[in-house]
Amino acid sequence: MSIKKSILSLALFISPILANAHDVSGVDRLLLENGNLLTYIWVGAKHMLTGYDHLLFLVGVIFFLIEFKQIVKFITAFTLGHSITLITATYLEVSVNEYLIDAIIGLSVFYKGFENLGLFQKYLKISPPHLLNMVFIFGLIHGLGLSARLQSFTADQEGIFLKILSFNLGVELGQVLALVPIVYLINLWRKRNSFGAFFKAANTYLLIAGIALATYQIWQFLGHS
Amino acid sequence: MYLKLNSYFLEPDSNVVIELFNGTFDRSDNVIDRDRMIDASVVVNGEKMAIDTANWFERETTTYLNFKTRSPGTYVSGVSTKPRSIGMSAEDFNDYLEHDGVLDMLAFREENGTLADTAIERYSKHVKTIFQVGDKLTEAYKTELGYPIEFIPLENPYDLHPGQNLSVKLLFNQQPLANQLVYIGSQTITVEHTHDGHTHTHNDETGHIHDELRQFRTDANGLLEAPITSEGVWYLRTIHLVEINEVGLTHESNWATLTFGVSGGHSDEREHAEGLPDYIYVIISLLLIAVLFWFFNRNK
Repeated sequence: MSIKKSILSLALFISPILANAHDVSGVDRLLLENGNLLTYIWVGAKHMLTGYDHLLFLVGVIFFLIEFKQIVKFITAFTLGHSITLITATYLEVSVNEYLIDAIIGLSVFYKGFENLGLFQKYLKISPPHLLNMVFIFGLIHGLGLSARLQSFTADQEGIFLKILSFNLGVELGQVLALVPIVYLINLWRKRNSFGAFFKAANTYLLIAGIALATYQIWQFLGHS
Repeated sequence: MYLKLNSYFLEPDSNVVIELFNGTFDRSDNVIDRDRMIDASVVVNGEKMAIDTANWFERETTTYLNFKTRSPGTYVSGVSTKPRSIGMSAEDFNDYLEHDGVLDMLAFREENGTLADTAIERYSKHVKTIFQVGDKLTEAYKTELGYPIEFIPLENPYDLHPGQNLSVKLLFNQQPLANQLVYIGSQTITVEHTHDGHTHTHNDETGHIHDELRQFRTDANGLLEAPITSEGVWYLRTIHLVEINEVGLTHESNWATLTFGVSGGHSDEREHAEGLPDYIYVIISLLLIAVLFWFFNRNK
């Protein structure tokens, strides 16, 4: 079996876990129906901590970042992007197709692995777009995905703005909680000789996972349309 | 008592026969007298319709409710019966508690030394089924029919795939019922075999049918997560039985069941993949990274 076929097979095999990244249980829905703003913070944080696709994209982003200041800058761009679309799309009840948005989020994971491995230069003979701009744009797209999820379990419009802000705050807290150990581990490994191999392995995994997620979501979209 | 359909996936404007089994999920022991039924209705798209009694008929031990589907959507149908009383010897009562899985009351009698007491029980049964007409998923699945005890799914069972959980709320007098034993059963066509205490049968004439029954308990909020492991027909049942202090009675029970169908709707390969638990994929992912790391480290 060729390497390309092997990667595609692996991608299809791991796709269900990635697709489950956005599962919001009925229990969460009930919690939100009966809970207060703290519940929205809790569910937002939980959603981010189990939202593997968002985290995989961020892992791809922080691989190249060494200084704490850089990390803060890029994470802020991502946070700003997803907060804008999460808040506005939810408040204005703009609905997007969840499968298509999740497919694009999957492609953003693929994109980051592709860029990190220098494949823009190698295969396309071009420099990749400016990373900070791309992180902001992908932040906007991830925010639409988060909004679609929040809208799917928020029926009561009373106090919706505060609910959205609370959910968004939870997303940020979950993001920080997930990234702290990841940044720590990457930086710890950065000092070792084997970091190069780890870098290639992790980013190749991002390629596979990105294809898997996008393929699965498109398949789901076709099945539901 | 269960409401059952030959198929839980129906077409709009088609005639449906809903079977009312009074007994076990597999066997109806007798029909329900018409005057015992307080409610027999169908809800779809926010509209509750009574099932016309002229369209009911009884044959041998089963009651049949005829009904014609309308527009596409998720439908819920329910039947609620008037209470009746029955007197039982201590031995019969204990046997019934054990056989029907009312284990909390059996344990209570053992702990309090009342196993030798006879019982006069007032009982009533309240059953629901959820079925899908056409492809359009709608909100009727979460309709509260207002029965003394009822299961309310928190998500549409027809939006589920094998490998996912169905969150269900159990209400007693419209309030969450905590710490209540619930049995979840299924009749599925499958190639998997598990021998961890579940009952199962094989019927070679109709293929490979797997009957499974598992025991769960609602949490403090009356919630439980039912793992839907394969496509087929699924049901939940519970008996809420308490002692009461009324003249001529010793106990009161309310029975609830809920039935629905789960469709895989995809290839065998994919069904198998969705049936695996999440942690398997996490392990696979970590292994994949480890293999890639080994490969790149060796070739650096």
